[in-house]
Amino acid sequence: MLELHPSYPALASIAERYPAHRGSLFQTYNDLLLAQQWREVEVIDLGDCRRGALQGKRPKTATDADALLHVVPCSLAESISLDWIQNAFKSLDNPQSLYLAVVSDDSSIVYYKLSSGIVKPSI
Amino acid sequence: MKGRGPNKGGARHHENNRIYAHPLPLTFSDPSSNRTRPILGLLGLSRSQVINPHCEGYYDASTRSVWVVNQRDSEILWRRGFFGKGNLSRSEPSWFVRQVKDRQIRRVGSNASKMTSEELREKRRADRKQFKLDRAAAIAKVAAEAETIFETEGRVVVPALFGPQIPSGATWKPKTDESEPATDGNSDETEAIVKNTPDIEEALEDMEHLQLTLQEAFFLTWNFDCITILNPDTDEPLSLKDIWTSFQQVFLAPSTSISLTPVLEFDNPFLVHYAAYHHYRSLGWVVKTGLKFCVDYLLYKRGPVFTHAEFAIVVCPVYEDPQDQESSATNIQNASPFTWSWLSTINRANSQVMKTLVLAYVTIPAQCRLSKEILNSPACFAHYSVREVIVRRFIPARMRD
Repeated sequence: MLELHPSYPALASIAERYPAHRGSLFQTYNDLLLAQQWREVEVIDLGDCRRGALQGKRPKTATDADALLHVVPCSLAESISLDWIQNAFKSLDNPQSLYLAVVSDDSSIVYYKLSSGIVKPSI
Repeated sequence: MKGRGPNKGGARHHENNRIYAHPLPLTFSDPSSNRTRPILGLLGLSRSQVINPHCEGYYDASTRSVWVVNQRDSEILWRRGFFGKGNLSRSEPSWFVRQVKDRQIRRVGSNASKMTSEELREKRRADRKQFKLDRAAAIAKVAAEAETIFETEGRVVVPALFGPQIPSGATWKPKTDESEPATDGNSDETEAIVKNTPDIEEALEDMEHLQLTLQEAFFLTWNFDCITILNPDTDEPLSLKDIWTSFQQVFLAPSTSISLTPVLEFDNPFLVHYAAYHHYRSLGWVVKTGLKFCVDYLLYKRGPVFTHAEFAIVVCPVYEDPQDQESSATNIQNASPFTWSWLSTINRANSQVMKTLVLAYVTIPAQCRLSKEILNSPACFAHYSVREVIVRRFIPARMRD
């Protein structure tokens, strides 16, 4: 069913390479592009984590609108280890932080911000 | 205070009671008049009929869900029982409406219509942020005053963190909304701009659908037959048998051997979760996913539109026979004893939002007692049971009454 959706072609090559995770990739891509209205959304191949990841920028009106953000989708059924997270950071060239998008069957997505190292809480 | 617009007070409540009047997609019609109905009733007869809306949805294995793309069906399923969720929205599908409004704002600069729940949420967050800034500024001001008093008079004043000068949740008011429609001078300009630039934005296509979880879809099709689930590749309706096996198969580990019939197991996550879903739905609760609160399900008394969820359910599968757990290929979540820190975390998170944590223990029947043949039909649910345990934090020093 998701192959018939207009936004599928942008994901097709990576979705076919990692079919087990194409559902969470598809849902996260649509949420970022259409609901959150991110700009310059692109799909990256994260071979070490056996899935595709996404990068993009927040809408122009948001705070910190020019930062390039990375999002790694995963589903509720998976169990994630610290090694997995380390791999994700490494494959994305060690960004300061990345967002883990946990996708549920009813299309709810919860984003967790993972930072590399200790981060002081903002005031 | 009452009735200050379509989003406030009594008007919205009446409107909601009207829109969300039916708890399930099936409705009843009774052609009898008001006089004949009680007479027939005395004889134990009724001419009322069930009206079935006959909705349609497509099964998608990758997202483990059923997509309802037809707008009439999405509206019926959401309004009569709060089934499903718009895949680009917070609850009911409102993406298209929001896009249209955004375009209207870009062109004309004002937004006079009723706010969607997403817009209400953004406004609430913006107000709260402003309140925190105002409060922090007031506290800093009071502290600075205490400093100057000490320097000039040598008197020590303890700066207050609350009091008449510092805004609190009860006393703070947001500044009046400044996004008025453009004044006359500006509107001429915007009209000119709109006339001169041709409408270069393409026609807007609705990219959203209503997404039902497999439990919701099975509940609707098995109990009420009010939704037909189609195979997206062939557009053919799936039989109940096909639905029953596909919904379980999607959770099984991909098998290396090519077999025509999938091996069904008692501990398939679909069966365990469906047992809990059906249990609460049949008791009249509206059951939605609880991803945002680290739980499996949230129970609403009437629906998300009316009140917040009171209960947060975590499904804990329990194997009747521990042997089955050891030999199982499925690693179902929460089946092993949990750590106290996990329980404590989830309880804390839910107490903060005033929800009661409920552990729903679903018993998985033993393979030594029942043959796997019964898994070929939904009649197997008779062997699953659900028991609840409520968790509340006990603080001995405070809870003396």
